[in-house]
Amino acid sequence: MSYIEFNNVVKRFGDNTVLDHISFGIEKGDLVTLLGPSGCGKSTLLRCLSGLERVTEGTIVLNGRDITNVPASKRNIGMVFQQYSLFPNMTVEQNVAFGLKMQKAPADEIENKVKEAIAMVELTGKEKAYPASLSGGQQQRAALARSIVTEPDVLLLDEPLSAIDAKLRKALQSRIREINQELGLTSIFVTHDQDEAMVMSDVIQLFHNGRIEQAGSPVEVYTRPVSEFAASFIGSYNLLSADEFGRLTGDRVASGNVVAIRPETVGISAERPAGEEAYVLEARVKSSTPRGNVLRYEVVANGIQLRVDTLFRSFHLFDDGAHVFIELPRHACLQIPVGVARAA
Amino acid sequence: MSAKTKAAAPGQKTPLAAKIFLALVALYLLIPFATTLIYSLFIEWTDVLPSGFTLRNYAELFGNMTFWASIGRTLVLCLVSVVITIALLLLAMYVVVAVNRRLGRFMQFVCMIPYALQGVILSIGIISLYTGTGTVLSNRMMMLFGAYTILVLPYIYQGIRNALNAIDAQMLIQAAEMLGCGRFRAYVQVVLPNILSGILVSSLLAESIVFGDFVLANNIAGTNYQNIQVFLQANMARSSGLSSAIVVVIFLVVGAVTAAVLKLQQSSARKA
Repeated sequence: MSYIEFNNVVKRFGDNTVLDHISFGIEKGDLVTLLGPSGCGKSTLLRCLSGLERVTEGTIVLNGRDITNVPASKRNIGMVFQQYSLFPNMTVEQNVAFGLKMQKAPADEIENKVKEAIAMVELTGKEKAYPASLSGGQQQRAALARSIVTEPDVLLLDEPLSAIDAKLRKALQSRIREINQELGLTSIFVTHDQDEAMVMSDVIQLFHNGRIEQAGSPVEVYTRPVSEFAASFIGSYNLLSADEFGRLTGDRVASGNVVAIRPETVGISAERPAGEEAYVLEARVKSSTPRGNVLRYEVVANGIQLRVDTLFRSFHLFDDGAHVFIELPRHACLQIPVGVARAA
Repeated sequence: MSAKTKAAAPGQKTPLAAKIFLALVALYLLIPFATTLIYSLFIEWTDVLPSGFTLRNYAELFGNMTFWASIGRTLVLCLVSVVITIALLLLAMYVVVAVNRRLGRFMQFVCMIPYALQGVILSIGIISLYTGTGTVLSNRMMMLFGAYTILVLPYIYQGIRNALNAIDAQMLIQAAEMLGCGRFRAYVQVVLPNILSGILVSSLLAESIVFGDFVLANNIAGTNYQNIQVFLQANMARSSGLSSAIVVVIFLVVGAVTAAVLKLQQSSARKA
């Protein structure tokens, strides 16, 4: 039995089914990411677990206790909201102490724990500051401290970093991961950012239209997408229909199947490679775009356009229009069966 | 006009033209008060300058116990009606914010109705509905409390609603719930302190309305529960100097209450 279990959870708003028979388990201490596009139901599931929304059907079990109808305030679940939601009339210290006061903890214990939690999120020195005087990142760290100080059974994070700039977001991603590991705190993180999910998660639950499309470790989900949607949402897979794949390589796959090829598995060179266990094709560079340490080429081979990612080495660039060879390893051409493929 | 079109940027000094313009506007607005003050302090004003300085009107006024009683009644009316309205609205808005947001539209509709009610219609309606019923509401004073509660409802509602919207009260309650706090307790401990300034400002507006009302007080209670405006009306025919002194006192009392509330508001804003 898992630490948290969702059993056939259904949530409807009027005629709109937002969660469609969700069932899965979460192990104690794991950091699980609910990943998916806007409106796929991931935040709703989080709110159902928190108790802020009631499920229409199904049950939620936490540590062996059915909490489906338990009020939010009695679930001992911490939550960090996207909009920070700090209490504006209270200082950082008072915000962090609020949950402990609700638990009627002794004053000295409150003082020690608040100090510890504030130090953990690196806000020491800002104890007396009001939320309005803090930056977005500081406010979110204060909200994080407020949520972990009560030692909840589960920590929920509802897109907490989406309003924070890229550099700070990366730092906070690491801090949240470290806190999850230091405290062994079971955490559920909602995001629509696949990079964020990859960096932070033990397990990714990929959501699509109120259902779980795929579940697994970041490596599993990234390297073995089970549907066209999963392949299109995770990474920048080249998705080819059976017909397109046939035109590109000359090989046939079952009609209706989709072939997914990760851009970084495709080799690109000026000279024809040996190409063992690979399709070697002539191509023309259409464009190139630097993306940090990766250079992305758009190439056209046999009339089919493909994305090719290489490490950005300035001494090895192909100009637009250059004649090149591309190498598609056969094992990197993933066939997604008809029955699983869904419209993205 | 130049002062209006060329607004000073933040951190810049206010241009002299703007200062002069504002001073002229303030002077113009103070003319009625200044003339009333002069009438109350002088015996005659038939020439360019008034003559016969006297404090007789004020001495007579302050020595009149009926005056003090009417001031007291007016303050009680202000306080009771505003407090009742705030208490009822805060409870109702709790339901809207924490239980069912859809009731917000209904609340808005109900609270806007008094805008459409003229004082005469409201007072006649209340009198014909409750007079002779033998209940506590047939008491004229109770009727007056009820009438003012209705009169100030839209003003206080707008103030509280705007303050609640500004802080995203629902989200704050949910955040408090996740920390083990019940909804109502969260409303009291987290939401109310954050909307206090909004409540104070709308109370001030409501209090000014009650203080300045004559129609409801005269129609419903008249001399049975004489407020300051009814007292003023009763004394207008007796002496213009005395009635001027009454107006000056009303102005100063409202001014003092306003200053006190603004002071409170500023100190609560500093804390936040």
